[in-house]
Amino acid sequence: MKTISDKPKIKARPSDGFVRQNIVLMSGLLTGPVIAGAKDFESAAAISIVFVIITFFSVAFCRLVPRKLVYTLRIILYAIVASALYIPAVLACEYLMGEEAVLRAGIYLPVLVVNHVILSKTETRFFQLSYGQMLIDTAGYIGGFVCACFATGIIRDLLVNARIGMIEIETGFDVPALETTFGGFIVVGVLAGLCRALYNRSQNQRNQNRLNQKKEQE
Amino acid sequence: MDIFASVLNAALLAVLLQNSIFERALGSNILIYASRKKSYVIGFSLVIIYVTALSSVFVWFLDTTLADFEYFGILMPLLYILVISVIYILSLIIIWRFMPKLFGKIKSYVHLSVFNCSVLGALFLNTQFGEGLAGYIGFGIGTGLGFFLAGYLLYIAHTKLNSDLVPAAFRGLPVTLVYVGIISLALYAFVGYATR
Repeated sequence: MKTISDKPKIKARPSDGFVRQNIVLMSGLLTGPVIAGAKDFESAAAISIVFVIITFFSVAFCRLVPRKLVYTLRIILYAIVASALYIPAVLACEYLMGEEAVLRAGIYLPVLVVNHVILSKTETRFFQLSYGQMLIDTAGYIGGFVCACFATGIIRDLLVNARIGMIEIETGFDVPALETTFGGFIVVGVLAGLCRALYNRSQNQRNQNRLNQKKEQE
Repeated sequence: MDIFASVLNAALLAVLLQNSIFERALGSNILIYASRKKSYVIGFSLVIIYVTALSSVFVWFLDTTLADFEYFGILMPLLYILVISVIYILSLIIIWRFMPKLFGKIKSYVHLSVFNCSVLGALFLNTQFGEGLAGYIGFGIGTGLGFFLAGYLLYIAHTKLNSDLVPAAFRGLPVTLVYVGIISLALYAFVGYATR
């Protein structure tokens, strides 16, 4: 039986995590905190700060966990490390964004300790990369999440509160329903569709260019 | 009778008003994964019911004894993860030892159904909405039942949401999220719609 360590090594590409396997918009591995938590710019920022600290350091540490340990124990260790890192992460968030932003994000900050970049990607992808490459790859996944989270937060802030963060923008209308969970589902769903459409389009164009180049060479 | 009423009341609250998927979007990624197969929907829901209901007992104990502890709020995730981990490992040992067939069936997804936003989120919501031990257990059971409701609604639509009738870019995840959003909108009628 093949194990993960037997699989061929893969090459780290930050663009994989950022676009192709974006954990919110492409693979949907972590959507809850963005859908229900990123209701405005501040909440999106608070979620992003906590996610960045927890995920980056957890993955960096968990990669050092020996592979000899059975998966049942490894996954527990990952979750414990992530929940221990929640403490400095939420303190940093409180320092940077204020207590109110942390309170507004509510339970969507602590649930980030069981995100699938730490619990699944460490096993299925990061273990196949060298340590340095893995850190670059993780940064790509984190960047992808942060972009998706901010995009959702900014769109909702603009359409619900007619502002982006502290900047007031005169829109002349508001759509308060987008603040709700169902609004979040619809916004993230539409963003995911647009993201896929743009990605597919760029891939098709790239393939077409390659074909044209080949024809020219022939 | 009062205990049964408390359990039922909390379970109904968790299924209808505080549904982990439709109201809180907790575990929506797991839901999308589980909705591929009927057996996954049932398996995930049973594991969630078992883990949340059992964890709720320990969480209730922690909440009542450590309520006055200054740093309890910030330590909550760590303590709750420890509770879930102990239940996970003991249950797996028992299942592996006494029910090897069941172990073989669930081992591919049991970790996903235990360590996810739905279970952890339910324990945090329990702290907010749970009243007494019976209420905590009822809320835990209701979270799993709410997950089953969401999972089944998604399972029956799975083929259509992934069919060729849906534009390629929106097929799969995007249209599933919009679909869940529409059901969530329908469930809002139970609570009454209010934003600001």
